[in-house]
Amino acid sequence: MKSTATQLGAADGKRTFNWVDLLIFGGVLGVLWSILQFGSGMMVHFDATSQSLPISTHIRHIPYYAGRTLLRMWIAFGFSLIFTFSVGYAAAKNRIARAIILPFMDIMQSIPVLSFLTIFITFFVSLFPGSLIGVECASVLTVFTGQVWNMAFGFYHSMVTIPQDLHEAATNYRLTALQRFQKLEVPASMHSLIWNCMMSFGAGWFAVSASEAITVLGKNIQLPGLGSYMATAVSTGDYWAAFWAIITMLSVILATDQLVWRPLLVWADKFKMELTESAHPPTSWFYDLLRRAYIFEWIGEHVLIPLSTFYDDLRAKLSARHAENFVKPNKIGRYVWLVVGIVLLLGLLSEVILGAMAGFDAVYHHISMAEIVKIVGLGFVTLLRVLAVTILATLIWTPVGVWIGSRQRVAQFAQPLVQIFASFPVNMTFPLIVGLFVRYNIDMNWGCILLIAMGAQWYILFNVIAGAMAIPNDLKEAAKNYGLKGWPLWKTLILPAIFPFWITGACTAAGGAWNATILAEVASWGDKTLKATGLGAFIAEVSSQAGGAGTPALICGTAIMALFVVVINKLVWRRLYSYAEHRFHLD
Amino acid sequence: MSTELTVPPHVAPTDAPAIAELCNITKSFAVGRGRELKVLDQIDLAIHEGELLALLGQSGSGKSTLLRCLTGLTKPTSGRVLCYGRPLEGINPNASIVFQTFALYPWLTVEQNVEVGLMAKRLTRTEKAEAIEKAIDLIGLNNYHSAFPREISGGMRQRVGIARALVSQPKILCLDEAFSALDVLTAENLRKEVVGLWQGEGTGLKSIFMVTHNIEEAVEMATRICVLFPHPGRLGIVLANNLPYPRNPSHPEFQRLMKVIHETITLQALPDLPPEPPPAAGRPISRARARMESIPTVGVSQILGLLSILHDQPDLNNVYDISDEIGKEFGETIAIVKAAEILEFVNTPKDEVQFTELGRRFFLSDRATRKQIFAEQVRKLRLFHIILAYLETQEEVSAETVTHDIATALPYENPEKILQTMIAWGRYAGLMDYNANTDMVTLPEEEEEEDEEKTAAEK
Repeated sequence: MKSTATQLGAADGKRTFNWVDLLIFGGVLGVLWSILQFGSGMMVHFDATSQSLPISTHIRHIPYYAGRTLLRMWIAFGFSLIFTFSVGYAAAKNRIARAIILPFMDIMQSIPVLSFLTIFITFFVSLFPGSLIGVECASVLTVFTGQVWNMAFGFYHSMVTIPQDLHEAATNYRLTALQRFQKLEVPASMHSLIWNCMMSFGAGWFAVSASEAITVLGKNIQLPGLGSYMATAVSTGDYWAAFWAIITMLSVILATDQLVWRPLLVWADKFKMELTESAHPPTSWFYDLLRRAYIFEWIGEHVLIPLSTFYDDLRAKLSARHAENFVKPNKIGRYVWLVVGIVLLLGLLSEVILGAMAGFDAVYHHISMAEIVKIVGLGFVTLLRVLAVTILATLIWTPVGVWIGSRQRVAQFAQPLVQIFASFPVNMTFPLIVGLFVRYNIDMNWGCILLIAMGAQWYILFNVIAGAMAIPNDLKEAAKNYGLKGWPLWKTLILPAIFPFWITGACTAAGGAWNATILAEVASWGDKTLKATGLGAFIAEVSSQAGGAGTPALICGTAIMALFVVVINKLVWRRLYSYAEHRFHLD
Repeated sequence: MSTELTVPPHVAPTDAPAIAELCNITKSFAVGRGRELKVLDQIDLAIHEGELLALLGQSGSGKSTLLRCLTGLTKPTSGRVLCYGRPLEGINPNASIVFQTFALYPWLTVEQNVEVGLMAKRLTRTEKAEAIEKAIDLIGLNNYHSAFPREISGGMRQRVGIARALVSQPKILCLDEAFSALDVLTAENLRKEVVGLWQGEGTGLKSIFMVTHNIEEAVEMATRICVLFPHPGRLGIVLANNLPYPRNPSHPEFQRLMKVIHETITLQALPDLPPEPPPAAGRPISRARARMESIPTVGVSQILGLLSILHDQPDLNNVYDISDEIGKEFGETIAIVKAAEILEFVNTPKDEVQFTELGRRFFLSDRATRKQIFAEQVRKLRLFHIILAYLETQEEVSAETVTHDIATALPYENPEKILQTMIAWGRYAGLMDYNANTDMVTLPEEEEEEDEEKTAAEK
């Protein structure tokens, strides 16, 4: 590599390899090494029936545990990305696929993530007996279900909103499906895709930390990771370890944001659809640093261009036999795809039907009508808590968000910070808060509202800030000119302008709150467990019952929680969305 | 005037072979709830080698749809598209489109955007590079290779669009309102260059098919001009234009062609109908025109503006001069004049626009009287009786119902737009109101109060 560099440098004073390239080289090696290092820990022997793996709370081990957690996150993210591209693409392109995929994802995203965890662990532990890989798979899959729906919906949405004329140009110039995907569909979706990835990845921290230390089927299962480190620290009363775990978690989230998402966002700015330059393009020091590297240019010149030249020439030679210089629609190919699609669809359908029947069977024989009524009742109690969280967070954070959003400088600094808070898995800190509840004798039925709000509130703040930032300047100036102040100003300008943003935030917050109830309504401090009355506590309880005795109740509870979420989405959020779209849309 | 509207083509088909041909094309779109909107009706049109064919039409006349049928982007509902005499399958490989909106990919550089035009071609890398370089050179984009579309001006963007279309050496270049998003000077310059490209060697280009609503643009560029009549789109008139290039707008033949086209469009939009039969006594509804007539979708303030101009400049009485004066497209001007004519504020014998007695009185009145006159005139329009009849028996009627009725009465028009215009007129006349939250057309709220005001004013 070095010899090439000097040659190039000597040739005509071109850019050459420099210390940034060395840094990148080191970084790549480091990533490869850590994948091997942390990955090998995923395959160790593990017996679900005996003692769980010991977790050391020595501070020396924190980097290792952080690495394990991070590796899980990225594996899950990789699968999410594959799912997003394939399923989102299918939904956007095919009418039949869309009719199945969209409702399916809609339901899946209303099912609480942690209910999946129990089912996944049961399944994978029996699939890989005697190895930790089963539990790892369950954890990864849980993170996957926590982030994938949002990403796939986002990709689908940006695919279908590509302007018609860009599609027509691609059709007129007879791009193949692959060329269209590369040149039009992925670039057009890139900006929103990366933004969605960043948000979904943030949501994944909650799932990963929760899945690392959980009591399922009567057994304490602990996967080496930051979540289990924290849990062990709290249960052994090692507060310094707990403190360091929180600091580490925050640093890992911050580092991921600075080293991965910010540079990607800056890079993706060029994929924005507008034909005007952004007024405040995002900045990233790491991106600026990477741009000083020569390696990417070198790869382009010495690998990508020769490769595409080779491909073009090969294609030209192969097609020389055909007199026609353009591609004809391939009918046989379409039939093959049709058959493959139908087979896949039937397979999936039968699987779903069998699963649903098995679930129904389990519920039907073990759950009486009275119990169902009781569970629905618990659902209403939890609904009240979710409602309280949404309202309280709105009342507290709306003024703060508007204050921040009206100050460009503060907002640019505060918005990424809030997003990091939203990513932080607050469930890690629940035991500490519960400790305070125990000391001051606070009723868990009220206290858990605070626990739920700790994670959910940030979405509201984040979106209100975005809304306040988006108020057009001329409207603000007009308000100032007419001397609007105080309540009239809020009523006529601020509240209507931030309303659409608030809905997005509140809807996400409510969804997160439902998810959080499973961890928040039952929480322990040392050997003391506080429990609130509610559907979340019910699900947590039945999923920890030994030997699968709670499975029917778990299915039933999960289904009812999902039903609550779906119904509220349809009755409240969808209507508010369309109302806001109709009335308060700023262009 | 009772001249036959469909003038037979002046031009016999040339001997040159037809690159692309539309045979008896009809195209309808489904517009929801089982309704169909017919956009093109029985079109026969061929593009021959060596000609520059312009298709002129107002917005909504289906000219873009016609272009999409020709290029294979849309399949006609019935009829055949031929490509050198053979039925077209899929996308027409001989035709490249230049879009009104440019349709460049913002994330690709100028060079990469041009390369998109070659993607379907199986060429070696060297051949590709040569073709791209040639196209970029031809359209004057040197030194712009690595610029992104958002960094360059609109005129330069459209040059990229043209280079992208030319790079694959198409037989026909299809310009879909390609100059209408550009400023006047840029457009003028680019038009000349496009004609030059078509005349010159080295592009492999045989013909240009352009779609436009700009009459002067068509006369300046085309060797053959087809005027498309709207609702549904039909071929109205075909004119040959053998003037040498560059064309001089003050040339008599240029002027004559402009006049013929103007007259054709005016006659089609503002026919001089025989007088209405005398109204039967005692039944207000029979005062409406006998046949259901559509209304042009123009706002009340535009009608008032027209009257104001007519009043201020009494010698301004020709529809072309008015069009120049208000700086609007001819089609739009015609629509405004037609609206004023329907309301009986102006008369349009031939291409003249004259104030009627009523129109003058309306213009000189105060607000309340204006409103009263406007209401009276609107009541005479049969179309409005769809809504007024509902509002006689009920407080409000859903916009959906009204839209459906309009669609039934005027099958070739966009009922949503018509309803919007009706609501605008009805509001001005104080005859109706519309609630966006409930999507209901209602009776106006303070009607009684204003009636009192009116009587008070009259006293």
